[in-house]
Amino acid sequence: MVNLTIDDKQVTAPKTATIYEAAKLNGIAIPILCHDKKLKPFGACRMCLVEVEQMKGRQIPACTTPVTEGMIIRTSTPDIVKARKMVLELLLLNHPIDCPVCDKAGDCDLQNLTYEYKVDANRFTDEKFHHEIDYNNPLIERDMNRCVLCGKCARICDEIVSFGALTFISRGIETKIGCEFDEALNCEFCGSCVSVCPVGSLLARPFKFKARFWSLTKNKSVCGYCGTGCNLTLGVKDNKVLTTLYDENQGFHNGQLCVRGRFGYQFINSDKRLTKPLVRKNGKLEEAGWDEALELVAARLKDAGASTAALATARLTNEELVVFKQLLQTAGCGNYDHSAGYAHAALTEGFAGSFGASASPSTILDIQKSDLLLVIKTDAYETHPVVGFEINMAVKNKGTLLKILTDKSGKLSKLPDARTLVHTPGSEIAIINSLAKVILDNKLVDASAAALPGYAALEKELAAFTPEAVSAQCGLTAVEIKLLASAYATAEKALILFPVGQAYPGHTAALANAVANLALLAGKLGKEGGGVLCLSEKNNSQGAVDMGFQAGIGAGRIIDGCADGSITTLFLAGENPLVSYPDHARVQAALDKVEFLVVSEMFLTETAAMADVVLPVCSFAEKEGTFTATDRRVQHIKPAIRKVGQSRSDFEIFGALIAKLGGVAPGTPASVFAEISATVPGYTGMSYASLGVEGQFAPVELKPAFVMPNAPAVTVEPGKLALVTGSALYHNGTLSQYGEGPMHVCPEGYVEISRADAAASRFAENDLLTVSSAGGSMKLKAHISARMPQGVVFAPYHFGANPVNQVWSGAPVTWITLAK
Amino acid sequence: MIPEHMKQELVKRVSGAITNREAAVDVMKELQRHYGWLSDEAVQEAADVLGLSPLQVEELATFYEMIYRRPVGRHVIHVCDSVSCWSMGGESLLQQLERVLEVNVGATTADGIFTLLPCCCLGNCGKAPAVMVGERLYGPVTPEGAEAFIKGLIESSA
Ligand code: SF4
Ligand code: SF4
Ligand code: SF4
Ligand code: FES
Ligand code: FES
Repeated sequence: MVNLTIDDKQVTAPKTATIYEAAKLNGIAIPILCHDKKLKPFGACRMCLVEVEQMKGRQIPACTTPVTEGMIIRTSTPDIVKARKMVLELLLLNHPIDCPVCDKAGDCDLQNLTYEYKVDANRFTDEKFHHEIDYNNPLIERDMNRCVLCGKCARICDEIVSFGALTFISRGIETKIGCEFDEALNCEFCGSCVSVCPVGSLLARPFKFKARFWSLTKNKSVCGYCGTGCNLTLGVKDNKVLTTLYDENQGFHNGQLCVRGRFGYQFINSDKRLTKPLVRKNGKLEEAGWDEALELVAARLKDAGASTAALATARLTNEELVVFKQLLQTAGCGNYDHSAGYAHAALTEGFAGSFGASASPSTILDIQKSDLLLVIKTDAYETHPVVGFEINMAVKNKGTLLKILTDKSGKLSKLPDARTLVHTPGSEIAIINSLAKVILDNKLVDASAAALPGYAALEKELAAFTPEAVSAQCGLTAVEIKLLASAYATAEKALILFPVGQAYPGHTAALANAVANLALLAGKLGKEGGGVLCLSEKNNSQGAVDMGFQAGIGAGRIIDGCADGSITTLFLAGENPLVSYPDHARVQAALDKVEFLVVSEMFLTETAAMADVVLPVCSFAEKEGTFTATDRRVQHIKPAIRKVGQSRSDFEIFGALIAKLGGVAPGTPASVFAEISATVPGYTGMSYASLGVEGQFAPVELKPAFVMPNAPAVTVEPGKLALVTGSALYHNGTLSQYGEGPMHVCPEGYVEISRADAAASRFAENDLLTVSSAGGSMKLKAHISARMPQGVVFAPYHFGANPVNQVWSGAPVTWITLAK
Repeated sequence: MIPEHMKQELVKRVSGAITNREAAVDVMKELQRHYGWLSDEAVQEAADVLGLSPLQVEELATFYEMIYRRPVGRHVIHVCDSVSCWSMGGESLLQQLERVLEVNVGATTADGIFTLLPCCCLGNCGKAPAVMVGERLYGPVTPEGAEAFIKGLIESSA
């Protein structure tokens, strides 16, 4: 700590602080325009000028100057005020000053500072800028006429997003922010640049002319898409969520969001929302009253009893899942599941065996504290983009080493010094076993490991996984495996990350066991910055596991049961298996066959359209409850708007049905959460108050053991291509199809193929290809990319209009042919 | 595409530099010598050789006024418009050259031989108004001498 004087006040500040930070810490505001707490100091705008006595009263920028012992600083002398006024005059010189039509008005730093410093005239005159406005993409408008050249957009896109879409071009008197070859912006559309732009140069197009900033109510919430659990601020007016607002102090991520979180909110107030219950009459779904619909469902549940089954989406709140379970138990139903079953197996079977807990030992906060990150599949960036930002920052700012084991390269591979090992699809478990084998052979085993249960058996079983043996089939060399193993074992703090989800059927319990073995052998658990983090797919995937929403035969066999008639009534709460479960024909046949299908949904999805009763439910923005993020951060959400139409929360629906079945309906979400905090391990003692705005981690108690994973052999079908499924960056599950932003930039499925394969078959970009597998065939547009290895193709799931499960039957690798 | 041997040569130069970025000007100039200007293709090639993104090359390319991001004539005439030259008649010289060459400043003559550009101080203030063609400095070039100056250029390159 150093002592200094700011505006005659004696204060202290950390040695590493800048004058700006020291002042802020002590409650003294210095105006800034180009500075951002998340970015490296830049010093471009001179708004933050202050006087330092030791520097002979010279005016220096507070945002770039470090404090020193005894510094005497004045932040607003008449000279300083004069200087700042001049800065503003110069900035306003070429600026159009079109605040009346600028969406940023009211939230604009330039406008606010001009007002604060009363700059009502300009001593200078010059021409205004004449830049063409970039309206070429549907999400971000770029009006460089309003730009103050603070560089924040270019810096955030480089320093945090690591995309590098923007920079200063034509530096000099004509400087502007431009894109590659001065063309239109075409990037990952995370909107980070929009969020930090201090003026109206970068605007969210979907929100343009929708509402004045000051007329919006700001409601804190949690993103309803992936398991990262980012915090959101919803901008609400007239009971509509009109936009997401940036708050640099929100969440572990400091307000950073991905394209889905920032631009995918439109499903909340979509015209396509169901507003009334639907009941099938004479073969057609017709609008009905709640009483009629619920009576019908209750009567069916009573009749069907044990031949009922249920599947829920992992987007329901914890409280809803608990009440759903209660409903099913009341109805005598013993078969229910979520996430297609296999998408939670890494936790419920894998970690449950290896760690004695169905949860990850590490958190997202460990990423930036780690020395080495081992990421399984570059897809981790696409599935959890804000986790991806954490990886970017760890690698770029902290010098964390990044090793990637993957079946294709990807964005993470481009990070400085990232080492990407591209293996043949489906061989990851064998490779991880082999890493463990090297650690054993090279005596890199941590002292704590030998005492753990299963050690001797593991040692024996791993004998077959020498790098030489594994390298023969996995596409990596034995040397690469050995080098990776020793880098991992010798890193002081090493963290393994891997995504799971419905599009990643290869990321199984066995993968989780393999990863856990590796971490346990090398002694990486229990240290900050080390361990294992499984990235689960949906916003409440971990919650669904913690609430134990899983009993009986499992999702796969529930579908089979519908097909073979042993299950007569199926309750789908928000699940859309027709699109998101493997094998479209099989799911369709099952849903056709089942006698009674009830679906609670926000939209008339492909699945809901087959139902006998559809119950309209509300979105996360309309309800109260808790979500548990992938790292067991439990967060509280409150309604931001009233329920749309006649929709009800799943909580209310399940409660009403319990009452109709003669059970005791639960009280409120708060009372159910109180129950959860009394009974669910790790949640003990939690309350809405203790969750606060940041949420609270449910601690994970570990009882580690070695569990030998089965490494499945992949049978290669010669002459065919290996299709791997996954997530597209712009989507999460099937919900994002109703978010306009994601659909603007990624409206349909595609098949991504290597340049070599495309050249060999003379496929061109956007050619409509017939994709054929043993399971069926479909048409998808070709997308040719440099990241795919020869012989491997990638297709995202998500898309109901043309779902990839027409050719994909749930295998980690599907062998296909492509034809024009 | 640049020939392989040229690419190898550039790669060698980059590897000899302490940071890749400091070799950027050198690489851009070589590519410009090859193509006559720094085309989009050349920016991409420079990026490949330098291990930078095309956008990072663009940022540098658009900073230097002697790197041309648009096609130029065989000879680029840079006429200084900074203050010393201005006070010695640089502005009239530029206008005079426009008339002699029959092009507007910023453009290339119909025969593709000359491009006329204004530029910043050439460090030749003592001989203002200063002009630079290729890598050669001239000055003083008076407005009255503009026609003769161009003739001289044509003759010496013929
Ligand atoms: S939207 Fe994201 S990726 Fe695109 S330019 Fe802005 S910060 Fe970069
Ligand atoms: S566009 Fe906005 S963020 Fe980017 S430099 Fe201009 S004012 Fe700054
Ligand atoms: S989708 Fe995931 S990463 Fe993106 S904003 Fe939402 S929670 Fe964050
Ligand atoms: S905020 Fe300090 S120079 Fe811009
Ligand atoms: S001002 Fe023209 S050369 Fe210096």
